[in-house]
Amino acid sequence: MNSITGFDRKERPFDPMPKPTSPSEEGGGPKRPETGSPDKDNLLKRMRKVDPKQAERYRQRTGQ
Amino acid sequence: MRLFGIETEYGITRDDLEVVDPVVESMELVRAHLTGAFEKTWDYSGEDPHEDARGFRVSGLQQDQEEEEFAKVDAHRPFSFHEMKSDLVLPNGARFYNDHTHPEYSTPECRTLRDLVTYDRAGERTLHQAAQRRNRTLGGPHVQLYKNNTDFHGHSYGCHDNYLVPRSIPFTAMVAGLVPFLVSRQLIAGAGKVGIETQEGGFRAGHYQLSQRADFMETELSVDTMHNRPILNTRDEPHADRAKYRRLHLIIGDANMCEYATALKVGTTRIVLDLIERGAAPQCELENPVAAVKELSRDTDLKAVVRRKGGGTVSGLELQETYVLAADKALAGSDAETDWVLREWARTLNLLSSDRSQLVGQLDWVTKLWLLETFAREERIGWDDPWLASLDLEYHNIDPDRGLFFGLESEGKVFRLTTDADIQRAMTVGPCDTRGGIRGLCVRRFREQIQSIQWERVKFTGGILPKTLDMSDLFEPAEVQELAAVLENASSPIDALRAWGQRKEQWR
Repeated sequence: MNSITGFDRKERPFDPMPKPTSPSEEGGGPKRPETGSPDKDNLLKRMRKVDPKQAERYRQRTGQ
Repeated sequence: MRLFGIETEYGITRDDLEVVDPVVESMELVRAHLTGAFEKTWDYSGEDPHEDARGFRVSGLQQDQEEEEFAKVDAHRPFSFHEMKSDLVLPNGARFYNDHTHPEYSTPECRTLRDLVTYDRAGERTLHQAAQRRNRTLGGPHVQLYKNNTDFHGHSYGCHDNYLVPRSIPFTAMVAGLVPFLVSRQLIAGAGKVGIETQEGGFRAGHYQLSQRADFMETELSVDTMHNRPILNTRDEPHADRAKYRRLHLIIGDANMCEYATALKVGTTRIVLDLIERGAAPQCELENPVAAVKELSRDTDLKAVVRRKGGGTVSGLELQETYVLAADKALAGSDAETDWVLREWARTLNLLSSDRSQLVGQLDWVTKLWLLETFAREERIGWDDPWLASLDLEYHNIDPDRGLFFGLESEGKVFRLTTDADIQRAMTVGPCDTRGGIRGLCVRRFREQIQSIQWERVKFTGGILPKTLDMSDLFEPAEVQELAAVLENASSPIDALRAWGQRKEQWR
């Protein structure tokens, strides 16, 4: 890393994207989430806070 | 040749006004990123959406009349065209501006999927920071931003994936090879949507589908992007040496929240382009690709079949499997990233047909469906309840304290390909191996001397006449890094351009 500009001139070695999974998991790849449903105390609370009419009010202009 | 990027138009709301002016809100959001005055430096000369890759130039676009109407209104505003667009080039080489009333972030050009995902997420954070600043000015959290593609009333806005491809590939070969793949790509890259819409024609509740954009696909090929949207956009705007390159500009995709889905979307598309270049793409022409996009999107059981031209039917999974098998045969062992995509693509298709619950946190449509089903069960509501569309919207809110996707992420239920440190760094420095990094370096190092800037060129003041850094054919990583060294060591951009010219002379 260059201390003046921050531009990293060295090509980073290729870092394979996925963290390897345990050999027991089919096909390798990412791990599934550890629980079978959203956390009742946190995520469902966050979901209940959403105004049921929010999407009805949401208006945008057509984009590309 | 491997180079890609993603442009994302965000939805924007403000909850403290009865009537919101989207032009002003998008403009102010972009301006909130600035710490100093706005300077008009973006050079629009390389942008011409009327050039068609099929070899002609269209006289008009479907959106032209609507745009003219907006232009008449905009003419009465106290802002110039440049001020309304508020185009910024960020220190990481990305573009951030107001595009058709939506704040848009375009990643710098990337060579690796890891970089692409990281710079896409850097965009989310950049926009969130801008919203925080804007909200501090407004005195409350009134502005919210959504990385999605619909307003549930028939208005869509895009997330476009772009690929540099050799112009030597016949466009007809790209169409034949890509269309069946794109029709079925939503199985892995759909963001999920509550309801069914038609273009500016309203909303029907009671459904869940794979894709946000499928409802808005109206034709197979077209240069248009706002109306009559195509599966394969034919805009011929290479932002590179036109004699050598095309930029494949795909508008069919959804904005993904899951990093894994973004990587698979772009990784599989890049692989299909490699297949086309080698003449090894599957031939599986569909009878009606536009109808097929919608039919496949509306079947979450993935059992729907669509008709092949010449007879027979095929499911979305079968189409994708045809491609992954052809890719495995032609490209396995090419490099580590290709092998990762091939492995994860096959694994994903396998899980979609066997146990898709394992894809929660990896594919957006699966993750969102899992959340909504859980919520509907807890609250004992049906699919026609408007609350579910609101939750769909909030899945895409990029405020980490409100967004449902980010709620899942904070609980560790989402597969990450990046780290927070990667993303933080990507907000300030561009990729080290593409011209996007050079663009960012120019902004950081010589901001005061930039007269104009765009994807291909940077024009500097400081000499007798302005001098231009031409990046229309700057794609070799070694050359990029050589130029970066020159820019870092030069005392001025004019000196840098002189030294760079001498280097290039020595190579000839």
